[in-house]
Amino acid sequence: MNGASAARTVAVIEDLGFTDVVSIPDGESRHLHRALLESPEIEVYSPTREGEGIALAAGLWVGGRKPLVILQNTGLMEAGDALRGCGIGPSIPLLLLVGWRGYPGAMSGTLPMDSAYTYTEPLIRAWELPHRRLMSDEDLGVIGEMAAVAEGTSKPAVVVYGYGFTP
Amino acid sequence: MNMERLDLFRVLAERRTNEVVITTMTATLQWPLVSSHPLDFDFLAFGMGHASDFGLGLALARPERKVIVLKGDGGLLMSLGSLVTMGRYGPPNLLVLLLENRSYEMTGGQPISPKADFVALARGAGLDNVERIDALAALEAELPRLLTEPGPHFVVLPVVNSEPLPPVAHTDHTERVARLRRGLGLD
Repeated sequence: MNGASAARTVAVIEDLGFTDVVSIPDGESRHLHRALLESPEIEVYSPTREGEGIALAAGLWVGGRKPLVILQNTGLMEAGDALRGCGIGPSIPLLLLVGWRGYPGAMSGTLPMDSAYTYTEPLIRAWELPHRRLMSDEDLGVIGEMAAVAEGTSKPAVVVYGYGFTP
Repeated sequence: MNMERLDLFRVLAERRTNEVVITTMTATLQWPLVSSHPLDFDFLAFGMGHASDFGLGLALARPERKVIVLKGDGGLLMSLGSLVTMGRYGPPNLLVLLLENRSYEMTGGQPISPKADFVALARGAGLDNVERIDALAALEAELPRLLTEPGPHFVVLPVVNSEPLPPVAHTDHTERVARLRRGLGLD
């Protein structure tokens, strides 16, 4: 089955001790966003753009919180300077949950290819950020894996999700 | 008449005690001339326009600690949506001091739109405590209130500068973060 369960994903995020989620939802993460808002353990903030969100998350982390950032791949592209300046440069271990717009279409052979699909993984690799794919509930362990990598390396790490979260 | 920026910094540094002060871009390059404090944080090169976003996150994380963001009007225009986010989530311990010099000073002083009204923009974004202070004596009188009264506060301060600027530093980002966290008692 394609797409992880929003409820199970929230449970994983809670178990990992994330205190805050900075979420700029896309269509695929709307159910996850809604489920996060119902969590009594997590504060959710929705800034207006992704670069703003990464800087906000960096401030939360510097202040002692444990934030997770949820954004679409297009937003990751917009947020490049903030990711460089507030994550990679100062060694702030942000975990990014990145929606992979274009992935389902690419997998089904839809043409023309969405360029947001094409550039997502090459861009993450260009920043030298470790990443794993989250495609279903079976992959939910990658969130903890990448959270540990971020903390262990003091650098951002990425989980990309290719399908929408299910309610 | 606009305030001389370095005089403004001196006034703030004299009254500041245990507040975090976040500075950024050319508008605040002179802050280290008047302050050397463990809770000074130079945001320069951390992300254009995002100092107040970072300050918002820090203020939310440390509700017991006043967080002051010193930034220029050009920097605000680089992330204008920040005002809406501050209007929505801004906590009582956040104070943004907007240094209004009507230009992008870092890149050569190109003028910003003369029509931009930062007080109106901040109010329209949902910030309730917005004010403009035009004179140094007035700032001296209002600072005790701004440093203690619950906010968030957004204050527009028209400034000029006739003093030389220190050099720009683009390094030591990791150490800047570590120093601030030590100052906050986190590491």
